[in-house]
Amino acid sequence: MESLPDAIVQYILSHLNNAKDVTSCISVSKRWKESMPFIRSLYFPRNVFDTSSMRDCDDTNPDEIILKIVMMVVRLEELVVYCPFSSSGLAAWLNVANKSLRHLELRMDSLSEHQISPENSSSKLDCLGIAKNLESLRLWGVMMTQSPKWETFHYLRNLEIVGARMEDHTLVDALHLCPNLNRLLLLGCEGIRSVSINMKELEECKLDFYGAGNNSLTISCPKLISLEIQGCGWMRVRDTQCLRNLSISNSGGKVYLVDFSKLVALETLSLRGVQWCWDAISKMLQWASEVKYLYMKVEFTGDFENLLPFPEIDFVEFFNAHPKLQKFDIHGAMFAALCQKNSLKSVDSKFSIPCLEEIVLTVRSPLNAEQKMSTLESFVKYARNLKKMVIKILQMKSSHSSTDDFFEDICRFKYMNRKIVRIE
Amino acid sequence: MASTSTSTLSRKLILKSSDGEKFEVDENVAMQSQTIKHMIEDLDDINSPIPVSIVTGTILSKVIEYCKKHATEDSDSDEQLKQWDKEYANNMDLNTLYYLLLAANYMEIKGLLELITQCVADMIKGKSPEEIRAHFNIKNDFTPQEEANIRNENPWAFEN
Repeated sequence: MESLPDAIVQYILSHLNNAKDVTSCISVSKRWKESMPFIRSLYFPRNVFDTSSMRDCDDTNPDEIILKIVMMVVRLEELVVYCPFSSSGLAAWLNVANKSLRHLELRMDSLSEHQISPENSSSKLDCLGIAKNLESLRLWGVMMTQSPKWETFHYLRNLEIVGARMEDHTLVDALHLCPNLNRLLLLGCEGIRSVSINMKELEECKLDFYGAGNNSLTISCPKLISLEIQGCGWMRVRDTQCLRNLSISNSGGKVYLVDFSKLVALETLSLRGVQWCWDAISKMLQWASEVKYLYMKVEFTGDFENLLPFPEIDFVEFFNAHPKLQKFDIHGAMFAALCQKNSLKSVDSKFSIPCLEEIVLTVRSPLNAEQKMSTLESFVKYARNLKKMVIKILQMKSSHSSTDDFFEDICRFKYMNRKIVRIE
Repeated sequence: MASTSTSTLSRKLILKSSDGEKFEVDENVAMQSQTIKHMIEDLDDINSPIPVSIVTGTILSKVIEYCKKHATEDSDSDEQLKQWDKEYANNMDLNTLYYLLLAANYMEIKGLLELITQCVADMIKGKSPEEIRAHFNIKNDFTPQEEANIRNENPWAFEN
């Protein structure tokens, strides 16, 4: 090690970022001490300062230690702080490193602090404005009940917030100051009712709102490629020409209304939730005519409180309307809907499901067993490229003999198509 | 058409180590070294051995093993390649790692330099200053006073 040139030693040490390792390295030798200022990244773990000397000694506080280490580094590009800190400490280190700092990740812990001093927590958020060259900002536990006092983050491409309390206007104000985001992740956000996101550079967006699942959302982002939404009842999405992956789920409430335009680039569509209005489902399926991978796990439909089963879906029409479908992963309700119509009785000889390779479906009940068997057989018959079919059988309620008969039929079907069909 | 593309792919170069050992390698394997790439550009006769002056035969064979694996990377997934890298680095003793570092630095093979520096950095992680010195055989050149000062400034870092 002693014979290696300085540049290589610096290169090796630049892989270290944990505050404790960095401090150990400073104490190894003079050369190592002189090499440490060339590191680019610093990480302060949650419990890094939970030591007896910190508890015994009142005059050393974490803010000052972090400041000292940040000051030692010549060009700090990445700073991750999971240990507790104060807003004045944060302001001090950001003032030192603001020119070079590109990536900042902070455990703010502001949600629990709020009860004690609301001014303090909002000023912690305000301090972030000092780091104006940031490209990526990740925050945990953010209190954003007041609009942040930032200047515009011109270079910010990635914003991730996990766990936040905010209001409609504070979120809109904050996003307005991050005009060039490519990626936006808001997970576990409380307090949003109705919000509109218009960002011209956004490519990936993941939103997860807490609450009763009745939020409303408007999105207009012309470069959007991937969109995941959880917890909204009303959604209007414009400028969808680039959208390839779309996932909508609502575990807390009902999906009432979706308003998209035709999804010309869509490859993957995932719809989940307990109850969707049928109109929302059927429109989604219409817009997604180009989809290759469809995942559906919606249990019920119905415009009002009553949980209704899916209406009938014509098997032939459905697959004619989605000719590019390769993988089809559906739950019991959708499968039952596809089995109800007598559309298979007189099928055009030219009908085929050209691209379908994989089907995963759930069978819930022996109701309509004859139709279900004929639907399963139709998949094998018309999807000539089918490579895999997985049939998941949920515990069927009745111990009636029809259950046994149906199960037997499925087993026979599996036996006939051993290479393709699997039962789970 | 097919024969032209095969012949460019399989063009051979001869690398000569500092102790005179010769290695015949495919051009695309050797070209992962920026240094060799530049040497070939200035070379009229690629059939003559290319000197890799500060690298011994033992080390050069290990460098070539890495370059070969990474020249055909499309046959493996990223995951498999990472696993291979890990095993490759873990099989080296500390001395070999130092010489590999010097070789990768001199030959400008970015991936190898990154791999080995990361591997050495991983050995540093979680160790106390004393453990680091012992592991890498580094002399403590601080005066007792200097060392005491550093420790007093960062008492939190010197406890278990």
